[in-house]
Amino acid sequence: MTLSLAARNLLRNRRRSLATLLALAIGATAVLLFGGYAADIRATLLTDYVQNGGHLRIQHKDFYLFGSGNPTAYGIADYEKIVKAIEDAPELKAELRVVSPTLVFGGLAGNYEAGVSRPVIGVGYVADDVARMRQWNEFGLPEINGPYALVGAPDDAVIVGVGLARVLLLCERLQVSDCPRPSADEGKAADQGAALPDDIAALAAAEPGAGAAPGAGAAADGVSLELLATQPRGSPNVAAVKVRAAEDQGFKELDEVTVKLQLDQAQRLVYGKGPPRATAVMVQIERTARIPQVARQLRALLDRTLPGHALTVMDFRELNPFFDETIALFNTIFGFIFVLIGGIVLFTVGNTMMAAVMERTAEIGTVRAVGLRQSGIRRLFVTEGFLLGCVGAVTGVATALALAALVNALDLTWLPPGSSTPLPLSIRISSEYGMIAGTAIGLVLIATLSAWLPAWRAARLSIVDALRHA
Amino acid sequence: MGDLVASLTAVTKSYRMDDVTVPVLQGIEVEIRPAYFTVLLGPSGSGKTTLLNLIGCLDRPDAGKVVVAGTDVGSLTDDELADFRAENIGFVFQSFNLIPVLTAFENVEYPLVLAGMEPERRRRRVSRLLEAVGLADRAGNRPGQLSGGQRQRVAIARALARKPRLVIADEPTANLDSQTGAAIIGLMRWMQRKFEISFIFSSHDSGLIEAADDLVVMRDGVIQSVRRKPEGGRLGAAAEFEAAAVGEGLSHLPPLPDTDFAFLQEDGRPAP
Repeated sequence: MTLSLAARNLLRNRRRSLATLLALAIGATAVLLFGGYAADIRATLLTDYVQNGGHLRIQHKDFYLFGSGNPTAYGIADYEKIVKAIEDAPELKAELRVVSPTLVFGGLAGNYEAGVSRPVIGVGYVADDVARMRQWNEFGLPEINGPYALVGAPDDAVIVGVGLARVLLLCERLQVSDCPRPSADEGKAADQGAALPDDIAALAAAEPGAGAAPGAGAAADGVSLELLATQPRGSPNVAAVKVRAAEDQGFKELDEVTVKLQLDQAQRLVYGKGPPRATAVMVQIERTARIPQVARQLRALLDRTLPGHALTVMDFRELNPFFDETIALFNTIFGFIFVLIGGIVLFTVGNTMMAAVMERTAEIGTVRAVGLRQSGIRRLFVTEGFLLGCVGAVTGVATALALAALVNALDLTWLPPGSSTPLPLSIRISSEYGMIAGTAIGLVLIATLSAWLPAWRAARLSIVDALRHA
Repeated sequence: MGDLVASLTAVTKSYRMDDVTVPVLQGIEVEIRPAYFTVLLGPSGSGKTTLLNLIGCLDRPDAGKVVVAGTDVGSLTDDELADFRAENIGFVFQSFNLIPVLTAFENVEYPLVLAGMEPERRRRRVSRLLEAVGLADRAGNRPGQLSGGQRQRVAIARALARKPRLVIADEPTANLDSQTGAAIIGLMRWMQRKFEISFIFSSHDSGLIEAADDLVVMRDGVIQSVRRKPEGGRLGAAAEFEAAAVGEGLSHLPPLPDTDFAFLQEDGRPAP
């Protein structure tokens, strides 16, 4: 009876109830749309990180803090043993997708034809592994990273960041769009073109597996570039490589220094004829939620395989604090919006219920006279607030889902700050059960709570005074 | 004293209006006999409604003792009072006070729902009550779809739904035209006689004196006089109102099934 009476009371002043419902529904929609957008950002960022670096990395325990100064000093000699141990571990079989070594080094890239060079960070990958890693798509997103350009490419093929291509004046030859060229550079390149120092040319020629002769300029399979790296013993080494493609790396700072190359090539450049090493072993797993368990298993495995090792297992969030910072920022904004909307709902429903109490004062007196206890009055008004909250939340969820579907169908894109590659603009709501439930329950609770004070006041009314309002 | 349906002893009541305390009832001593039709008569402002509120356990006195159906209601908590009202007292208000979103049937049913009565029994009793007040065919109508007289008949049915010891009617005819008002009084009188329930009926219309078994006259917050009609006098007086009820189209009032109201014994007390 209470539920039926509450529902009928809400229908009594339809316009007011509708206005309250609209406020609730619009609030729920706004919260969910922003939450869906934030969820999509999270999924996109996470997918990008995992596709390019795996969920977990095994590396020297000091590499994260000190490795950027001298990455090769933290090379892992037994990386192949580690890769094999992981791949063979029965407890990890169901979890694993890709286990792949990588080598990071600092060096210098020069386009001696144009007379320009700059310090770079080189990253050696096993191309086929990277290609498989880029197929990981736990969230069903549209393609973020295209095919890896080094798959099936010769050892001397490299990918550079778009920013690096710009700085090294490679854009034109790599046919990179939207890549300006400095006006003062016209004569300079001509003056210094083909001015590769003899000693560097000799080093490059001496490098095992070196491809085209350095300084040969654009070839059919890429644009020539010279990479210089310091070997662990301090001696320099140079490789002549061919730039296959320029890829946006997301951030300007990274974009202007990144060179991706084949792992073998990177190892030859850094370690020469010495035993090859890797600075990290990337581990990509099937499900992100399993990171803590897999990390524990990997640590145990390392302890068994390499007793006394100096290695650590870190997940992509530890390695990329920007991810958590971004998520925290969005969560803060989401929380702010929710609090704002919650406040509006609180006052809207509270106002509606207060008006209802005023209008129905005589009725309150009547039902109290007939024998309804104070708690019954409270229950009636709180139920009305609860019903308003439920209908408003359900309407809001339905509206948000419809709007999200519409936005997603439009195939819109957006340009993240500092990036030159547009990303798909989508809103993830339908798969975010927690967010939907949290928002709906939150708004229902707020609506119910906001009815409590009017309900309490209604229950406290003197019966005699209330009956005078008839 | 034990047979009385209500008794008030040395009751006083005052209200505060702004900073002024206004005495409304002073030293009230009155006894309401069971299964009688008591008319509380007095001009506006004489304290009739306040007195009915105290007898109906809607309010508490400043001083004095109020005993209803053998219970000193001054000692009851708010929830106990609510339960006590539900079980022992029915109300008929001047403005009908029906719940507008409920149908006539549901309005009568409401006190029974509060009592937790099982649905089938509830439906049976409400149907018979609506039949008794001549509104069986309007059971599905909401109050807004009923005339004033019909609404008041629904209110009477609601007041009787829980089979109370006492029905309090505070100027139930004030918002009705004279013919309808007379019909309502006739109906209440008929109900009171039929089921031997105590009715207390307030009015400032001295023309209603004839309807009373007992007459309590109030003025300025004190009881001026209490007159009780002798045995045999009440039937004749009631007959006039029953005649008026016939004029309102209530002549068809059906004989009520004894089983449905078997809760009342001959003396008006609830059956064990």
